[in-house]
Amino acid sequence: MSDTKNQNLSAAQEHALLRATLENMAQGVAMYDASHRLVTWNERFRIYLEMPDEFLGTDRTFSDYIRYLGERGEFGDADIETELKKRLAVLETSHSFERVRPDGMVLEVRRDPVPGGGFIAIYTDITERKQAELAIRKAKEDAESASKVKSAFLANMSHELRTPLNAIIGYSELLAEDAGDRGDSASLADLEKIGAAGRHLLGLINEILDLSKIEAGKMELYIEKVALAAAVDEVRSLVSPLIEKNGNTLVIECPADIGALRTDLTKLKQCLINLLSNAAKFTKSGAVTLRLSRYVDDEDAPHVVFEVRDSGIGMTEEQIGRLFQAFTQADSSTTRNFGGTGLGLTITRHFVTMLGGTITVTSTSGLGSTFTVDLPDRAGVAPHEDHVIDVDDGMRAASAVTVLIVDDDDAVHDVLSATLGREGYLLLHARDGAEALAVMRRTPPDVVTLDVRMPKVDGWSVLGVMKSDPELQNIPVVMLTIVDDRNLGFSLGASEFMTKPIDRNRLTALLRKLTSSTKNATVLIVDDEPDVRGVIKGTVESAGMKAAEAGNGRAALQWLEGNAPPALILLDLMMPEMDGFEFLEKIRKVERWSDIPTVVLTAKDLSERERSFLAERTLLVLSKTGQPIGSLGAALSALARRGQAVKPQAKE
Amino acid sequence: MPVKILLVEDNEMNRDMLSRRLLRNGFEVVMAVDGGQAVAMAASESPAIILMDMSLPVIDGWEATRQVKANPATSSIPVIALTAHAMAEDEAKARAAGCDDFDTKPVDIQRLVGKINALLGKA
Ligand SMILES: Nc1ncnc2c1ncn2[C@@H]1O[C@H](COP(=O)(O)OP(=O)(O)OP(=O)(O)O)[C@@H](O)[C@H]1O
Ligand SMILES: [Mg+2]
Repeated sequence: MSDTKNQNLSAAQEHALLRATLENMAQGVAMYDASHRLVTWNERFRIYLEMPDEFLGTDRTFSDYIRYLGERGEFGDADIETELKKRLAVLETSHSFERVRPDGMVLEVRRDPVPGGGFIAIYTDITERKQAELAIRKAKEDAESASKVKSAFLANMSHELRTPLNAIIGYSELLAEDAGDRGDSASLADLEKIGAAGRHLLGLINEILDLSKIEAGKMELYIEKVALAAAVDEVRSLVSPLIEKNGNTLVIECPADIGALRTDLTKLKQCLINLLSNAAKFTKSGAVTLRLSRYVDDEDAPHVVFEVRDSGIGMTEEQIGRLFQAFTQADSSTTRNFGGTGLGLTITRHFVTMLGGTITVTSTSGLGSTFTVDLPDRAGVAPHEDHVIDVDDGMRAASAVTVLIVDDDDAVHDVLSATLGREGYLLLHARDGAEALAVMRRTPPDVVTLDVRMPKVDGWSVLGVMKSDPELQNIPVVMLTIVDDRNLGFSLGASEFMTKPIDRNRLTALLRKLTSSTKNATVLIVDDEPDVRGVIKGTVESAGMKAAEAGNGRAALQWLEGNAPPALILLDLMMPEMDGFEFLEKIRKVERWSDIPTVVLTAKDLSERERSFLAERTLLVLSKTGQPIGSLGAALSALARRGQAVKPQAKE
Repeated sequence: MPVKILLVEDNEMNRDMLSRRLLRNGFEVVMAVDGGQAVAMAASESPAIILMDMSLPVIDGWEATRQVKANPATSSIPVIALTAHAMAEDEAKARAAGCDDFDTKPVDIQRLVGKINALLGKA
């Protein structure tokens, strides 16, 4: 402020200016000095809080005002002294919260400490904004429930529609067989038309049902290990009548060792059938090829690529642009010539996306089309229930839960304040890592939301420090990030993960989930860098395990001499005195230590020989640089579990 | 001697239609109209194979299959689940309940006969 002061103003003028500014503000403002006495305020403050005139500007303190408001019933049934304590506890930190006054007015309260002691409180009337938000939420809920009703109706209807259709199709086929036996070819042809029309109608009903389920978010995935050769065989038998119909031939190029893929079998089959039936439909006396191949991506995840190629009519660029949109066909004459609803590809694309894959198309008008589906192996996809957070539960929210928002971006503070304030959370604000740690030590919050990318001290470092500080390590942390360093976060002990832009409902629910939570085995950490040990220790302890530390191989051996074998050893390779290789050599020769699971942490690029040395003696090699350290958290608990499961058997 | 099939289906038209088509393909067909009856007839009729509709009254097809597979006297009888539309949850649930194969209605009789023969070890 002082550097923006106009040197030509007299004290009186300056005072008048300040007064005018205060009185013209759209907010209520109150300033308190270092001993919490009210020194300056504006009219709006008096009106918003309905403060009696005689109460203002005396030597009453902040606490007197809070007690006065409390006695007047301003905090409902809440205990006045508790309310006061809550407020006093955070006065040294910028904070904000929302409060509904007895007359229904919604106030946003913000308090910021001022340099030299004291603080300023700013009250904003957000009643209108709240009402608008409420109206929007209500409208959204109404729309959602209407959509639920619609999809339930469709599901029921489609059952009702399918039962008679089954009869129509079945009996027409029965009669067609009779007609065939009698040699009545005229009837046979007509009966086959009835059957074909019935099957067509059934296909449409099924597609509409699928789409409505997808749109209602009701489509579920069942990930299992799918034997690809068998699945392809089944698809071949299902589509071969379609292929033959237009005089096409089906070529399947599937390597004998194609193996298995963890994915949803039914959805995979449906996608392939859709693509193959399109290829068959839009190709005459040509070839349709289904080709499978495997590759491994940058992150070591296996993928299988399914390529459906035809020599049919193909599509123009413009037609390709409209593809994958519900109810659109390449051009309006398609329906006339080929039938169909234009839902097949839409559904296929949805399924592929649900399975974590991609679908692409290349086509030349008149020459043919190639549709390529790339599906990743869905290893480690937990049963979906695990990810479900009860949002309604979150909405009910706990008051008096303190959330520290750590972000260098003001917009994030604004968004989160608007979302969380409404739920009754008390929000603390910090703009960088150092400030965040200071605030945490002063006023331990119940939950911390932590931005990953911040200048100077970034989110990971803050997390690392928190998890190695006994005072802070149990505070649940929600990492906010645009990039997917999800695994790194978990490995460092983040309880949950969220990506930006922030899904507010999920965040609210998450915070609810995290404000209550907690398992015991020892992990021996061997590394010469105390910082690295600190971070790993935090990870270990936050996974509910005990950590023991050693600075090199020799110290680790000494520790082993004096203690029961740990559940797991985390081992650095490059260390003074005794390095990781030597340590491994030594312990593998001692019977009682020889089967302690060992995880090697390394920043060293390993030679082939070193790699094989380690492969024989350790469970897994993790790198300290780059992403692989990301799997540490998961590896830790999995390994400790394995260690514990192995031990009792070893005793027998 | 013809192969005996236990067809479990609650919808009368579907039962009539499918049984006639199976008969025509040289099978002997006995029928149950609900899950309870299916479990009882699996034991009393000793069919070579069971075709089980999944949405059945009294006890549903999944539970009936579980009971058939839990009884040592009937556990070796192959069960083919029949459901309306290829829905992932149905197919996975059917296999979890112990069904040996799965097909969707309306059945393609040649394909179904193929599956029956495969399960009975006939080409
Ligand atoms: N292999 C192909 N060759 C040429 N055009 C194709 C091919 N596959 C799809 N198309 C074009 O894309 C459109 C959309 O395909 P989609 O499978 O979604 O619908 P459809 O086959 O017309 O109807 P249905 O809903 O019965 O599958 C098709 O109508 C066709 O114009
Ligand atoms: Mg199609």
